[in-house]
This record gives sequence, structure tokens and C-alpha cells, in this order.
Amino acid sequence: MTQALTYTHYFRIWVWLVGLIFLSVLASGLLPREGALLVIFAAAWVKAVLIALYYMHLKYERWQLAAVVLIPLLLVVGLAVTLVPDIVIGHGK
Amino acid sequence: MEQASTLNRHIATPLSTSVPTGKLGVWWFLASEVTVFGGLIACYILTRLGSTGWKEAAAHLSLVFPLLNTLVLLTSSMTMVMAHAAVEAKDSHRLRTFLMVTVLLGVGFLLLKAMEYSREMAQGFFPHTGLFWAFYYGMTGLHALHVLGGVIVNLILLLTVPTATETQQRRVEFAGLYWHFVDIVWIFLFPLLYLT
Amino acid sequence: MSDMVVAKVADVTPHVYEELGFWRKYVFSTDHKVIAKQYLALGLLWAIAGGLMAYMMRWQLAWPETPVLLFRWIPEPFMYDGYMGPEFYNALVTLHGTIMVFFVAMPVLLAAFGNFLIPLMVGARDMAFPRLNMLSVWVFALASLVLFVSFFVPGGAAAAGWTGYPPLSARAEYTGVEWGLNLWLIALALEFASFLMGGINFLTTVINLRAPGLSMFRLPLFVWMQIVAAVLFMLSVGPLIAGAVMLLMDRLLGTTFYLPAGGGDPLLWQHLFWFFGHPEVYVILLPGLGIVLEIIAVFSRKPIFAYRSIIYATIVAGILSFIVWAHHQFISGIDPRLAMPFSITTILISVPFAFVVFAMIATLWKGAIQFTTPMLFALGTLANFILGGVTGIFNGSAPLDIYIHDTYFVVAHFHYTLFSVTVLGGFAGLYYWFPKMFGRMLHDTLGKVHFWLTIIFFNSAFIPMHLVGVGGMMRRIANPLQYEFLQPLQPLNVWITVSVIMLLIAQIPFVVNCVWSLVAGVRAEQNPWRANTLEWSAPSPPPHGNFAAVPVVYRGPYEYSLPGSAQDWLPQDYEVLTQAAARS
Repeated sequence: MTQALTYTHYFRIWVWLVGLIFLSVLASGLLPREGALLVIFAAAWVKAVLIALYYMHLKYERWQLAAVVLIPLLLVVGLAVTLVPDIVIGHGK
Repeated sequence: MEQASTLNRHIATPLSTSVPTGKLGVWWFLASEVTVFGGLIACYILTRLGSTGWKEAAAHLSLVFPLLNTLVLLTSSMTMVMAHAAVEAKDSHRLRTFLMVTVLLGVGFLLLKAMEYSREMAQGFFPHTGLFWAFYYGMTGLHALHVLGGVIVNLILLLTVPTATETQQRRVEFAGLYWHFVDIVWIFLFPLLYLT
Repeated sequence: MSDMVVAKVADVTPHVYEELGFWRKYVFSTDHKVIAKQYLALGLLWAIAGGLMAYMMRWQLAWPETPVLLFRWIPEPFMYDGYMGPEFYNALVTLHGTIMVFFVAMPVLLAAFGNFLIPLMVGARDMAFPRLNMLSVWVFALASLVLFVSFFVPGGAAAAGWTGYPPLSARAEYTGVEWGLNLWLIALALEFASFLMGGINFLTTVINLRAPGLSMFRLPLFVWMQIVAAVLFMLSVGPLIAGAVMLLMDRLLGTTFYLPAGGGDPLLWQHLFWFFGHPEVYVILLPGLGIVLEIIAVFSRKPIFAYRSIIYATIVAGILSFIVWAHHQFISGIDPRLAMPFSITTILISVPFAFVVFAMIATLWKGAIQFTTPMLFALGTLANFILGGVTGIFNGSAPLDIYIHDTYFVVAHFHYTLFSVTVLGGFAGLYYWFPKMFGRMLHDTLGKVHFWLTIIFFNSAFIPMHLVGVGGMMRRIANPLQYEFLQPLQPLNVWITVSVIMLLIAQIPFVVNCVWSLVAGVRAEQNPWRANTLEWSAPSPPPHGNFAAVPVVYRGPYEYSLPGSAQDWLPQDYEVLTQAAARS
């Protein structure tokens, strides 16, 4: 890969990222609640994955490096799910 | 066995894996940061789902500041990784330029945040105003502190790396990993606080 | 080998190192061995403080409302000519727990032993990030200072329990303690930062800086235990850091994250705390188990039984440790439907630990046991840990826990598990590695006296504590005599206190032994215990840079009593047996 291509490559990802932002803002204003939430959070995840794969180069690294951050993410999600009965459903009781 | 004569040379040990030690260290650091911000964000989501009136509170937030901040941070991520590309291309001039832009954009983020905070406080919204505001200030505040840390690191790199050795220039990549992570956290904070 | 990248590790060559002044060599040092000793010194100092706090608490429990012997010097408003009020008792309870877990067990078991041994055991010249290592010990020293200062601020030290539950901890007016608790939170945050940095160092060093030939499954089990502990700590502490930020905001900025009146939830703190708190107890447990494993192999002259399975069992236990935490909260108002799954996982986690215990016993079986002081402490750890583990089953079962939660039965349980592995295991490690660390042997007979006194008075104190707990005595109360139903238990309380006092006095032989041996002890040879792991291939004590040449590893760490060999040990870095015979 020549250097010129690499800079362009990063710029292209940036264009996608900015596009997704504006998509999210539009969705929050125009779509009904459920649709808006879906678009907004899908867009956020896509942006995060784009940055992780291409800016943090996870696409070109060994999978164990991605595992180092994915496992804690799963843990936090597990924590959140376990807390739903107490903090969400049982709130104020 | 040789004693002092071996130690007098620069001591080189082959690495057990092909991942540079600095990169490995930063990824482990990011793993712990995922649990810090992940924990805080999880608490926000859970508490919000169990409470009422947060949408109304959030309506008092501006959209212009955070939108600008998002663009600022995304662009700074791009310039940071371009700085890394400049290191690989051994392009010292571009390295300096991209690092400088990254630092300036980071400072810009902090200035915009400060302006946003003062606007909200002038309207009477403080951390103790309500639970939504507590989370808002807590999450964006902790994030802003991390941005500040990143700006300082990037500034140090800007001042030292253009004249550093090749191995030391790899630090741009490692600092970039941290900077991208801080950007990713904002990517989630923005919709969670401002768009819902 | 084409993808191997060569890294420059030690920047300071020896002759340059010799020229460094006192401050760079012993205070602002990046050498992992010096940093280890700094952690050890801080940890042992805090151990004295924590032990004295236990003494004061036990005095108050045995002889309530009498002046504590030898403590009349503590000024008002903390104590009144040796008498303590319930608020001061609360502070003692809080600080004893905080100090022992975070300022004794962590720095000694994890940081001191880990820092000293990991580079040596993997054949490296230092940690992966020596300057980060120095920063971590200095941040820990700062944390220590902050905690120390918290004793002297108006309102006194933190007094909401080492668990710091809100709402009590969320507003200064609820405890009467303002900056004491704020500083406590800040000290803990600094301590977490210090150990996060340390954990990064340990993990990268073990993953990347192993000597040639040292595959992961040729690592000593002590190293495996340390890295599992590091991963557990790093993955569990984050949510608590978030929670601590929220608690600090509640206290300093008037937010209501944990106050129901403002829409918050006290249970949120509990969950965040114990999500960390439970893996944390395994974090401080695993290094001690690693120490015991090293010692029993050496002093039974046998390989460790089921080496790989112990590693797998430890990893399974580590994973399980993330899904048991609410067993600390069975009666706190959690959704009752959570009780069963957490009881099941809690009972399950005893299985991998039981496996490790059985593997230890199998290692000892038919070994040529040498009853040195480290071996005595290791055996004592094993025996007492079993007792602690057994009462864990009782506590883990929700229906039974409803009755024994917040009683002294729980206190007895966790002292059996924690004290045995961290204190007895820690002593085992100190006696075993003292020759390597300081170049002198500890006096063996004095060590045996220390062992027998410690183990006798420890058990004498904590076995009756189970009875006191089942008899109904609640935790954290300052005066049991105020309750009529507890008065019949008072003779047991007195017995426990006397045993604790004897236990503390029993540590004097250890202190005397250390001081005397450092100055006038027998000089240690390179490998006094005839052990196989790599640290014994370096001089006692190792110089800066550790090894004359980076060792090459040919085998696993437990090749003892190989059939047909001339001697009963074979170090990891000896090429052939004849070389070993020539060197021994």
C-alpha cells in the first residue's frame, strides 16, 4: 500500500463517520421513537467498529488483541443485564 | 560465563510474541478503560430506564455544541491516524502537521465543552439539579478528563517524536490507540445524552 | 523466527548503574527488585497498623467501655483517655478491612512478590515498563499518604465499613465524617490506578518477555496465578471506579446517585462494589496459592500433580468469580429471583478450588517432605484454607445465609480463607524467598517458633468465632453486652480477644528474625533450597539486570526426582544433567 492510498483510505472512513452522524441527527428528529433509537444506536456501533477496525488497525492485527477489549465489553453487558431486575424493574420499590 | 562484558552491550531479548510490548500494554489499558466507561454508561442506561422525566431534562441540552464536538473529535481521530501513517512513511513534516492539528482539535473539544458547561450552569443546571444532570456532568466530565490526558500525551509526542528514534516513533501509534478509544466513548455518549 | 521482533530491554548498563546515587538507586529506582521491596516495606508497615486496629477492636468487644491497654495516648475526640465511642469503633472496623485488603494483601502478595519474582521467573532483566513500574509504586505511596492523612482530619477517618455502603456513605452528615471518607475514596482510587499500572506491566512482561524456550506451559504456577489475578483485577475494577466517582459526586457535589430521595438507588453501589469485590478476594488469594504450590513442589521433591489442570481450574475459577458477586447481597433487598442463580454459581466455584487443593495434596503424597519453615507455613495455609472453603459453602447457600449474613460466622469464614492464604501464605513466601531477596538466610528455629505460635493462636481465635456468629452476634457492633441475648457469648469473645493478643505478640519473633538476619544472618548461596525455577539461577540477591546471560529454558519447572537421575532436582535452564552435576 502506498502512503497516498493510506491517507485517502483514512479520509474515506472519516467521510463515512461524518455521514453516519448526520444520519443519526436526522433520524432523531424525523423518525418515531423506536425507529430513531434503532438507527441512532446502529449508527453508533457502526462508527465504533469502523474506528476500531481501520483507525486502530484491528482488521490487520491478530484476533487475540481484539479479544482483550471484547471480553470486558461482554462482562459489562452481563453486569448491566443482571442489574435490570434491581435497578430498572425494582426501581423505587 | 561472561559477566560484565555481556551486560555492557545493549541487552536485547527476543520477544515471545510478535506484538510490540508497548502496543500490548496499551490494549490491556484500554481493556480496563472499557470497564470504567462501560460501567458508567451501563449505570446511566439502567437508571434512565427505571426513571421518568429524563427526556424532558435532556431537552435543555444544546445540539450545536455536541455536534461540533463530535465532528472535532472524529476529525482529530483521522489526523491522529494520519500522523501514524506519516511515521511509517518517514514523513517528518506531515507527522508534525498532523500531530499539531490533533492537539489543536483536542484543545478545541475542551474549549467547546467548557463553553457548553458554562451555558448550562448559567441556566441553572448543575450536577445536583437532578439525576439526569448528575449523570450528564459525571459522564462528560470523566470523558473530558480523558481528553485532557490525551491532549497532554499528544503534545508531548509533538514536541519529542519528530527528532526521536524509530522505535520511539512507534509511540504515535500507541497514543493513537488511546485517542481513538476516547473518540469511541464520545461516539456513544453523544447519542445517549443528546439524541434520545 | 522471522516474525520475532527484538526489543531493547535494560537501558542502564551495570557500570552506569553503579554510579547512580542513593536516590536513583534506592528511592527513585526503576529496578523491579527495589520496587518490590518498596511495596513490601509499605505493606508491612500497614500490616502493623491494621493489626493494632484489630487489637483495639477486640479489646472493646471483650471488655466494652474499658480503656484500651497501651492506647491512652490517642487524643480526643478520637478516644477519651483510652475509652472509645461507637463512632471510633466504626472507623476501626472500616480501616482494618480497607488496610488489610488494599494496603497489605495487595502490595505484599501481588506487588511485592509479583514484582520481585515475575521477571526472574520468566528470565527477563526487568519488567516490560520499568518507569511505569516506578510510577505505580509512587502512586501507591501517595495513596498510602492520603489514607494516613485521613486519620487526622476533623471528623476522623472513614467509618462506613470497608464496603462503604450508601446512603450512610453518601452524605457527610450521616456518619459525621466528611473529609475522612472523601480522602478514603481518593486513596482507593489512587490504589486502583497503581495496581492497574502494575497489572499492565505483569501481563505484558509474562506475555512478551519470556526467555527462549519458556512456553506458557513451562511457566511456574506462581506466574500463572499472578497473571490470572492481574486479569481479574483489571476487568473487575472498572465499574467500581465508575461507582466511586458517583459516590464522590454525591458527597462533594450534592448529586443523588445513591439516594432514593433523589431518584437514586443504594443497591446500585452494592452491585458495583461486589462485582469488583468478589473477584478481588480471588485476586488476593491466587498469589498465595501460587506461593504454596511452588513451596510444596520444592519441599516434597516432587513435580506438581496435574500442572495443566491446575491452570485450567484456576482460569475456570476466575471466569466464575465474575458471576457470584450477589452472594454478598442476599438479604439486602435484591430481587429474590437472583438468589438462586447466584447460590448455584457460588457453590460451583468451590469445585475448581477444591480441585487445586486436591492437586496440592496429591503433590505432597509420598513425597520426601522436608519440614522447613516455608514448608510448615505452606502446609498450614493449605489446612486452614480448607476450613475456610468449607464454611464458604454454608455462606453461599441463600437459605442459610439469611440467618448468618452480617454475623461473626461470615467474619470467621473470610478470615479463614484470607488470613490463611495471604498471611500464612505470605509468610511462607517470605521465608522461602528471603535468601534470594536479601542474600541472607532467616533463622530456621526462630521461624518454626513463629509458625507454631501463629497457627495455634490464629485457630484459637477464629474457630470460636464461628460459634459466636451462629449464636447471633452481629458484625460491626461496638458493644455486645448491650444485647441480653448476646451476653452468654461473652466468655467466647474474651477468649477470642486474648488469642488475638497472643497472635499479635507471636509476630515478634518474625520481626526479630528479619532484622537480625538482615544484619547478621548466614549468607545465602545461590540455590539454598535446590529448586528448579529460574530465579534460583541468579545470584542471591540478583544484581541489576538479574542474569549474567539471558537463560535458555529446556524444560518445565517441576522436574524433581526424575527416575534414574543423579540428583532429585533439575533446573529449567540446565542443558543436560551432567552440567547440573558439575554446578551443584
